[in-house]
Amino acid sequence: MLRRAFGALIVAVIVAGGLRLRGTGGVPPQRGGWRELTRPPS
Amino acid sequence: MTDEALSVAVIGAGVVGGRVARQLANDGRNVLVFDRRSNVRRSLAAHPGVTEIVDLSDLDPLTTPVVVVATTADQADLVAAFIDHGHHVVSTSDDVDDVRRLRHFGPRAETRCVSVVIGAAACPGLTGLLARELSLRVDVLDEIHVAFHGTGGPECARQHHRALAGSALGWHDGEWLNRQGGSGRDLLWFPEPIGGKDCYRAALVDPILLHDVFPEVSRISARMSANRRDRLTARLPMLSPPHPEGGLGAVRVEIRGSKRGERVNEVAGVTERTGMIAAAVAAATAEAILRRIAEGTAPVGRILLGDDVLENASLVDDVIRRGIPVFEYVGAES
Repeated sequence: MLRRAFGALIVAVIVAGGLRLRGTGGVPPQRGGWRELTRPPS
Repeated sequence: MTDEALSVAVIGAGVVGGRVARQLANDGRNVLVFDRRSNVRRSLAAHPGVTEIVDLSDLDPLTTPVVVVATTADQADLVAAFIDHGHHVVSTSDDVDDVRRLRHFGPRAETRCVSVVIGAAACPGLTGLLARELSLRVDVLDEIHVAFHGTGGPECARQHHRALAGSALGWHDGEWLNRQGGSGRDLLWFPEPIGGKDCYRAALVDPILLHDVFPEVSRISARMSANRRDRLTARLPMLSPPHPEGGLGAVRVEIRGSKRGERVNEVAGVTERTGMIAAAVAAATAEAILRRIAEGTAPVGRILLGDDVLENASLVDDVIRRGIPVFEYVGAES
């Protein structure tokens, strides 16, 4: 019983580690872009 | 004494200090350079307008009123000594503990009737300038979130390696939160060619300084880009020696607030070699103080970039003039 629990724990750690390292980020912006900074009139 | 007759001293001739010295010399300044490495010092002194010094006690506050400290971490003792000697000081430190000490040097500088600029580099430094610039576009400023990609010289790379394993401070609804470095992934877009990078919380000093400048803002965070290897090895010694120059870096500042009752997001950023960004900010700051001294309105006490002591728009203009184009993100729905 203890051995199975220990095995399950190891599997959980490996899966969690894999998910943490391999997970993807967010969704890239679909439009828009960078342009030179425009300054408000002073 | 005319503006041009005043000299500037640059302490530390590394990736940032060397560029600060060359930029100020190109502006027509007489620049005095000190570095413990005699070969580096001599090499930099070959640049027109740059002179090497071997003894810091040679510096005279009357002829060399401004000192740019661009050494590696732990600048506080050196900065304190220059203040006590009567120099205005521009510090490029981005180390959290170092900056915490530097923040308390305001009264010391006031006693000597000089100023001390804290965090005049890329991150912190440019982040404060851009946050102030963007803040003019909103009626109420609620949040500031900064992100950083890349490293300058080798010491900067080591500092960022440590930052990912450190405790990340963030200002959240009136209290400081200590989060684990390397947590809180956020996919953030920097100006091209850097593009999208996964960024994580890190032990960066920006939230502390930005909170000093913008005490009314309810949320301030700082993240830095990292890949899987960075995060896996953050708590280990650096496995490979850092690149002597660092690569292309980027700074991104996002503010959130409201204007005429509507929610507004504004984003600005730069992409350039990190050492060049830091040097441009430090050089522009030193020039601004020199001009104020020549005009007879020398600033006194603690200065943070983004506050109202130095004219923010002029500093941003000078940074751009030094070859650091600033971009804003437009066109996407927030």
